[in-house]
Amino acid sequence: MTSLCRLAALALAAVLGGAATAAAAGDLILTGAKPDKLYVIDAASRTIRRELRIPGANGLVGSIVPSPDGRIAYAVINRMESIVGVDLASGKIVFRADFSSPTERVKDFFAFALTPDGKELVAYLVPVRLLPSEYQVEQPRFEVFRTNAGLKARPVRHFEAPRRVHMLLMRPDGQSFYALGFDLYEYAMKDGKLLGTRGIQNWQLPGHSQPDLLAFWPVTEPTGVFTSPLYAEAPQDGKPVPTTALMSLDLKSGALDYRDFEPLSALIFSTVLSPDRKYAYGVYSTLTKVDVEGRKLAARVPLDHTYYAVNVSTDGREIYTGGAMCDVGFYDAVTLERRGNLKLPGCADQALASLRVIAAR
Amino acid sequence: MSELKPTNRKAELLLDAAADGRVAEVYAMDTVAGCATTFDPGWEVDPFGGVASLCQPMEADLYGCSDPCWWPAQVPDTMNTYPDWDAGKPSAQNDWRELDAVFPKK
Repeated sequence: MTSLCRLAALALAAVLGGAATAAAAGDLILTGAKPDKLYVIDAASRTIRRELRIPGANGLVGSIVPSPDGRIAYAVINRMESIVGVDLASGKIVFRADFSSPTERVKDFFAFALTPDGKELVAYLVPVRLLPSEYQVEQPRFEVFRTNAGLKARPVRHFEAPRRVHMLLMRPDGQSFYALGFDLYEYAMKDGKLLGTRGIQNWQLPGHSQPDLLAFWPVTEPTGVFTSPLYAEAPQDGKPVPTTALMSLDLKSGALDYRDFEPLSALIFSTVLSPDRKYAYGVYSTLTKVDVEGRKLAARVPLDHTYYAVNVSTDGREIYTGGAMCDVGFYDAVTLERRGNLKLPGCADQALASLRVIAAR
Repeated sequence: MSELKPTNRKAELLLDAAADGRVAEVYAMDTVAGCATTFDPGWEVDPFGGVASLCQPMEADLYGCSDPCWWPAQVPDTMNTYPDWDAGKPSAQNDWRELDAVFPKK
């Protein structure tokens, strides 16, 4: 049975099993949990469709990037020293790259991306040479893997990379990718040529101080736009005031935008943009709704605990919260009212796992 | 460096080297997060000078800090030094009593 057929069969089983009919046509949520779990959640029925175990995850399932066809989820595991690809229908590990060796410890700090055809994976690696009496910090590098390379994947090419990168985002044409760190870089996928650099720490926003950005959650669905909260002092009545802004990066057009929307009054860890691009939703200990066009806070409600990760349903009607602890929350996108909650088996923490949304098959 | 006073021989050598322009580039900020590279306030205080904007409850933030070695002074570093600290304890809110203090290996 092909992977596609298996997934279709699973969807049918969910319907026959009494789940809401909408579930078959709705979203699937991907998240990870300790020590080695990857969950596929049916958003409509608030049920776990698949619990997959990742051998050798070694206590960490971190950044998750689904393949463009939604069949495979790639994840950083093993104390950030490996990336695996998991077939979501069968649970089989179809790809694995281990970066470290006995003489070199190599970490992938959250950052990797896939080409739109799903054939290549580029990872940002931070290597340290383990010498008898010292650790020697080496130059970070991008390594490119073929995703059909199996369980002992070796890079097919590599390029020198800048320091302090923590997210890679592939552009829709697959010809280049963004590396998000202290600044925003764009590199050619083919040969690693630096195509451009735009300021984040070195931004030139009139009257603004150097910003603070924490972008570890590589959510670009459903719009193809990555967003993140960003903090800086901005001028207000002639005085610098700590201010929260929404940073957005359109992966297709390359447009990079910053919009101040409120004097800093609540922390936000990550955000997601609504399908119509009118609102952004952010989480931490509150759920925040931002009027993007109006550049203002639209609504904010307290959450029952801190969440790191957020996503939005494909139709824009529901907000999903995850990361940190052991549950996924479901909230009305208009009222921010809580609609549901799903606790993961054993109450295993998601910690830094991404919360991704793919279409149900 | 004028505000810093060396307290041992190695520190004196570093000051001398700095004065002579012989100090290699420091790579402390090799990543944005990671052991001792973050200068955000720790678990003691939030950006507003209080505690209300720290993660709630603190267990929500426990493994999010130990996994990337965020604040290794407060939370053991499971990325490099104490990889088994959370082994068999997947739920911080349920397993916190079993999470032990750690000590440097002799």
